[in-house]
Amino acid sequence: MDPSGIFFTSHGSDRALVRTRPQAAALALLIAALALAPLVLSERWIALGYAMFIAMIAVIGLQICTGYAGQVNLGQSAFMGVGAYGCAWLLHFPQMPVVLALVLGGVAAAIFGALFGLTAARIKGFYLALTTIAAQAIFYFLVLNLPGEWLGGAGGLHLDNLQLMGFSLGNDRSIYWLTLAALMIMTTGAFGIIRSRHGRSFEAVRDDDVAAGMMGINVAAAKARAFLVAAFYAGIAGGLWAIALRHVSVEQFTLFNSIWMIAMMIVGGLGSIVGALIGTILIQLAREGVVSLGPQLVDLIPSAGQDIVFASMNVLLGTVIVLFLLFEPKGVMHRIEISKRAYRLWPFPY
Amino acid sequence: MTGSLTHTGQALGAHAVTLTFGGVTALDDVSIHVGHDELVALIGPNGAGKSSLLNVLSGFYRPKAGSVSFDGHDIGKWPVHRIARAGLARTFQGTHLLAHMSVLDNILVGRYAHMKCSLPSAFAYFPFAHREEVEHRQIAEEIIEFLEIEHVRHQPVGTLGYGMRKRVDLGRALAMEPRVLLLDEPMAGMNGEEKEDLARFILDVREARHIPVVLVEHDMGVVMDMADRVVVLNFGRKIADASPRAVQQDEQVIAAYLGAKA
Ligand SMILES: Nc1ncnc2c1ncn2[C@@H]1O[C@H](COP(=O)(O)OP(=O)(O)O)[C@@H](O)[C@H]1O
Ligand SMILES: [Mg+2]
Repeated sequence: MDPSGIFFTSHGSDRALVRTRPQAAALALLIAALALAPLVLSERWIALGYAMFIAMIAVIGLQICTGYAGQVNLGQSAFMGVGAYGCAWLLHFPQMPVVLALVLGGVAAAIFGALFGLTAARIKGFYLALTTIAAQAIFYFLVLNLPGEWLGGAGGLHLDNLQLMGFSLGNDRSIYWLTLAALMIMTTGAFGIIRSRHGRSFEAVRDDDVAAGMMGINVAAAKARAFLVAAFYAGIAGGLWAIALRHVSVEQFTLFNSIWMIAMMIVGGLGSIVGALIGTILIQLAREGVVSLGPQLVDLIPSAGQDIVFASMNVLLGTVIVLFLLFEPKGVMHRIEISKRAYRLWPFPY
Repeated sequence: MTGSLTHTGQALGAHAVTLTFGGVTALDDVSIHVGHDELVALIGPNGAGKSSLLNVLSGFYRPKAGSVSFDGHDIGKWPVHRIARAGLARTFQGTHLLAHMSVLDNILVGRYAHMKCSLPSAFAYFPFAHREEVEHRQIAEEIIEFLEIEHVRHQPVGTLGYGMRKRVDLGRALAMEPRVLLLDEPMAGMNGEEKEDLARFILDVREARHIPVVLVEHDMGVVMDMADRVVVLNFGRKIADASPRAVQQDEQVIAAYLGAKA
């Protein structure tokens, strides 16, 4: 809802993404700050930064599939894997340009994802969740059982000396900028999709698939499309991950990662692109906290041993997330919307 | 099958339709035809099969026997969305609105099949995609203005009162630019004034678009005022199909209504 007193003079400006001058200025500042940050940040924060950007891309895709279209998706990590392998293979063997390999890796993942989306036409909820877990199994099976010369088997594929427009991608700063640029494109694209007829068809299918069908929406196709979008986003994220680590292997793409992404999406708030971004930041920071606090705790209580400390901290983090979901099931974005509205209407309580 | 599917002068028809749920026969050998630019009222006691018949006509229920035709096509095997795209729009008895979406977005969903923007061009938000959005937004705004719901256009439909929701439901159906409109008890639960408003909207639609309408309604006054023809169902059977005046004097109809009330 807009603050009272602001009216839009045309339907075009009413639909625009950034609608007021202060909003545009704030956004420009944020982007500039993000772009300049690696010049002052330490290596570790730069690496955390691009890891977040990559995760955000995959979580945005998940948000469109689950938050908007209402389709459970536990295959996001496997879809990332397909994109990563696709991209790495194209860079390794035909030595394609980076951007082209990234996009084609995304397309490969999208096709793989849409196949699972087709099953969503027939099944819902728990059974759909099981089916998307099968994506994980199939991904593992294919990579590990295809001839070793194809995808490198258990050892994976290595990528060396990647370049983009004459710049080496061999350092963390350039990876940071590449992933930031990708995140900006993918975020803008997500807003384009959700504001289009496709976004509305996703929400219609989520809210009431009977009505959606009667409105001329092919419900089965819409669900497949939602998975296609999710897997495309995951595929781009996976390709970036391969480029960032200069290496791909199956154990980077576990079912556990899919579950983390679902947590990020829900903590941020279902059905919000910005929520996907915020949820990813919060959870990644919390996980980073666990990773950096862990060794100190191990030093403090040597008898506990490293395994136990890390395991119990992950349990603690999991508990915090579950508690959060119990008390704030609609996510951070929902809370932000409420306080924004209250602030705008102040001093008139609603 | 029946050879008379392509009846000229007939927009929509069900032919000898039988529909069962387990042991319940919801529709028993029912035929109905709706002519171009005709308002047919469908009445009958509760449980008579009125909603079932609308569901059969719109492809949501598949009858055990009989056929359904629309514009000369046998649509018995068409998926629901294809029937909708061919121009059949309906409203529901209980609202099937998209509760989390705004009034405007609900109505824009009705424009879905008229828009062309592909997924990649939505992603890139090409100028074409933007122009299309604005164009269809214009059409949605005209409907919003027509139904006098401007003040709630950005409100989620779930937060609206019953009468408003029914209007949005009608608006969404109109946004489809239907060639036939099926309305399932659009005025149920409304007060006199709300009913009058909705009746006026329906009459205005007919005047502007000249499309056939099938109206399920309980209020006899409304039915007698608006309908060109009245079809009466009772226990899944058609017991009358005539002008409002003739139906009012039909003994079987009177018995059915008295019987239902007794
Ligand atoms: N989905 C369904 N499952 C089982 N029985 C149904 C279903 N829909 C309708 N019926 C039954 O069919 C009969 C006709 O119902 P309906 O068409 O809703 O009547 P009306 O709209 O005239 O009140 C009723 O006996 C009802 O119980
Ligand atoms: Mg009914």
